[in-house]
Amino acid sequence: MGLRGHFKAAATNVQTVSLLVVRYGARYCALPSDEVRGVLTKEQAGQGQTVNWVGITYQQVNLAAQLSTKLDLTSPELRVVLFSNGHSHGAIYVDEVAGLIDADRRECKPLPPHFRCEERMWVAGTISFENELAIILNPEWVLGEIGAEASLPSSVVTGRSLAA
Amino acid sequence: MLRAARQQERAVSTRQSWSVVVFSVGGMKLAAKAEDVGGISAWGINVPVPSRTPFVGSLVKRDKDVLPVYDLAARLDRQALTDSSLCLVARHVDGPMAICIDGEIPSLHTVDTSEVRPGRGHAIETVGSFTRDGVDIDIVALRRLGQP
Repeated sequence: MGLRGHFKAAATNVQTVSLLVVRYGARYCALPSDEVRGVLTKEQAGQGQTVNWVGITYQQVNLAAQLSTKLDLTSPELRVVLFSNGHSHGAIYVDEVAGLIDADRRECKPLPPHFRCEERMWVAGTISFENELAIILNPEWVLGEIGAEASLPSSVVTGRSLAA
Repeated sequence: MLRAARQQERAVSTRQSWSVVVFSVGGMKLAAKAEDVGGISAWGINVPVPSRTPFVGSLVKRDKDVLPVYDLAARLDRQALTDSSLCLVARHVDGPMAICIDGEIPSLHTVDTSEVRPGRGHAIETVGSFTRDGVDIDIVALRRLGQP
């Protein structure tokens, strides 16, 4: 193989991935930004179990519960991420949208092989974000198309409207 | 006389011993072969991961690496002593794995293999157990911990 071919292969390997990093308490998660359709304040999102935005209805997704954590309803930075993969449309309430990053795919580390069960389909890997570790979530899991809630010991949000 | 000396020399050379690291989890003394321990450092910040793998439900950053955490305290049904916990890195067959151990600094011991007895069946993977200062200590098989 000539140098030209070698150079081409090297060039095509460099790819970036765009991620929206959101926060729950001290935990950071990254959502592929291709699926992000918008970020609203809770006032813009309004009350109720759905959010209507630009002709699309987004069902509330309780990602905090899926992660076995709690949404901080008092957070001044609380935002609603409109998330869609084309089939499912979800309105995800987060404590804060921490940032949007374009990362080299090589910076995304896969979940270690010690994780052997369904979580391998839920979590795509991890990435460093401002000295923190963010877990990269699979959009299909976020939108409830695959898997179910994880059974972690910490408590989950129940019985309260996230839009309250 | 020469033969006797050689036999004695052979006996000495075939006598084997293990270097083991003795540590504690939730106050319970445990040991691991030193060769199975990749290092010990201060405990970092746990990042929970939604997981169905038993006792593997978080990650911890260690330098530039991200290590899965094996919750040995939960496996042993012990309450982890969280004050100044330490991170023991296990050289697991699937790759390095972090285990949160008590803050008491681990100690290195040499154990003659003749002292090692079969494990006492604490329902964890062991390569045997031995006694030190009147305390029975299981030697955890870190390489295959949690393997199905």
